Amino acid sequence: MGVSLSKKAESARPARATINYKAWLLDRGGDILLLVIIALMLLPIIFLVVGSFKSREEFAVGSNFFPSDWRFENYSEMWTRVKFGTYFSNSLIICGITTLVVTILASMSGYALARFRFPGAGGLSMAILGTQLVPGTLFLIPLYMTFLWMKNNLGIPLIGTNFGAIVLYVGFFLPISLWIQRSFFATIPIDLEEQAMVDGATRFQAFVYIVMPLAGPGVISTAIFVFLTAWDELLFAWVLNVQTIPVGIRQFTGVAGSQNRYELLSAASVVIILPVAAMFFLLQKRFIAGLTAGAVK
Amino acid sequence: MALAPKKNKLSLWQRIRQNSLAYKFIAPTFVAMMIVHLIPIVQGLYLSLLDVRLTTLTLYLKAPFVGLKYYIEVFNAIFGIGEAGASSRVTGLINAASNTLVYTIWTNIGTLGLGLILAMLLNREFRWRGIARTLVLLPWVVPTFVTGTIFNFIWLEQGGLANKILLGLNIVDTPVTWLIGPNSLYALVIATVWRGLPFTTIMFLAAIQVIPTDLYEAASLDGANGWQRFRHITLPLIKPIAGTQVLFGLINGFYGGYNIAVQMFGGGTGFAGEYADLLVPAITRQTWERHLYGFGSAASVILMGMLLVFVGIWYRAFRDSLRAE
Repeated sequence: MGVSLSKKAESARPARATINYKAWLLDRGGDILLLVIIALMLLPIIFLVVGSFKSREEFAVGSNFFPSDWRFENYSEMWTRVKFGTYFSNSLIICGITTLVVTILASMSGYALARFRFPGAGGLSMAILGTQLVPGTLFLIPLYMTFLWMKNNLGIPLIGTNFGAIVLYVGFFLPISLWIQRSFFATIPIDLEEQAMVDGATRFQAFVYIVMPLAGPGVISTAIFVFLTAWDELLFAWVLNVQTIPVGIRQFTGVAGSQNRYELLSAASVVIILPVAAMFFLLQKRFIAGLTAGAVK
Repeated sequence: MALAPKKNKLSLWQRIRQNSLAYKFIAPTFVAMMIVHLIPIVQGLYLSLLDVRLTTLTLYLKAPFVGLKYYIEVFNAIFGIGEAGASSRVTGLINAASNTLVYTIWTNIGTLGLGLILAMLLNREFRWRGIARTLVLLPWVVPTFVTGTIFNFIWLEQGGLANKILLGLNIVDTPVTWLIGPNSLYALVIATVWRGLPFTTIMFLAAIQVIPTDLYEAASLDGANGWQRFRHITLPLIKPIAGTQVLFGLINGFYGGYNIAVQMFGGGTGFAGEYADLLVPAITRQTWERHLYGFGSAASVILMGMLLVFVGIWYRAFRDSLRAE
């Protein structure tokens, strides 16, 4: 299938005046295939959204695709049935602060790795990439014990608090973020900094006033990446007993013996998607530019 | 302060001083990585040699030393050495490991294959291209634990969306059991591919877009057909990106899947059953629900070993395109 598609993909590009019947047919076939794939990609999301308006019984039976009666009150009930507001604000605080801190630190260290050839740079790069090859389950226990020790002996409240989650996530997402930033800085020409320094700026000033404004797409893609990933983190938050959305949402399906309120779970899921979706699509162009810049230079 | 230091004969100390700003910029990251990654990883490796369980957890690193006991246990069970009956924790682990392999292979084939097809479809000139490119990104904003929730509903045997479509199109006669039994692993694969497809597509699209059009035109003039142009122009030029994608795919395949599985199976209890249990959920259960911390660490090291074998194969396959960068 890929073969015939690829043929059409390229033959569509050279602007030729003669209409090739076979190419035209392949092109329409491609349209149909694209339509089918996009429909399959959207269907689960549409299914979730319409499901969130169903009644409990209708959801359980699953006979209709669309609800017979659109229950908007699911969206108000969902906040009261479990402590969704607490989970939501915890997640917003944790992910917001994590994103801010990681983006700043990753910009600094990414810049250092992209521009300086300092002793230890090679080892650091290896360590950064190495962290990505270690399963979280290996260092989760020691991390938990370290946090517990710090709580008991130093009085730093790292278990069961938003602060602990922020410390964890900053360390967690720094290596991959600084790698994205590093490859983005590598695509920015060095001439502008050199010019600024000839004009009397310090290296630090050149970084803050010349490089960072140019690094917009890189910064945005790092920030969105971190927010998306932190918003989605379940295992560590669960073990450290932090009440974020991924941990709390399981209340809807009866972990606490509550109730199988799948329609409320759907409504909550829609609300969970909204902040990321808004951020993502507002900044989509820059996000993609930043993400692919390092990869296809 | 040299911007682009050439080969110089400065002493190490001079080079360190010359790059002092770099060290200042790196310092916070270094501290964070020490606390969250390096120290815990070293401890975790050591932990896999200790008998840490609920009763000995407070002893932590002073718990009884058992050496390679867990590794030997797993090794023996794989190769059928020693007593016939291996403990359930070991057989469960081996079963999860083989599921993880199948899962990784299929999720990679799915996301890479479909991603490439989708990227090429989106690279054509057509009217709704901008909208189409935005729409294919949508699954990306759905967090994986929500993905698990959605697909839990979709795969329901009675009244689930998948079965309704399949029955409606007369593809099957009786409802398919998705969430229990042999199909469950593929239910998990499909959910994972759905969520991973946008990222791969965007990366492939970016790579295809920068291929100069005249390469294709020249090839057409020389009489190359569509397949030949794809085989000899497109594929070699997207190989570096494909390499990165495969590496991500391997890491996600071996270490991922937890969030989707936990939400998709067992109505929230998260146990996928023997057919779809992956290593990370299995290890998590052993560690945090059965409190076998030492065994969990050893299992994590084995999981890492599995990934490293595949990364090694990956490195051999994509070495050339890495060097070309």
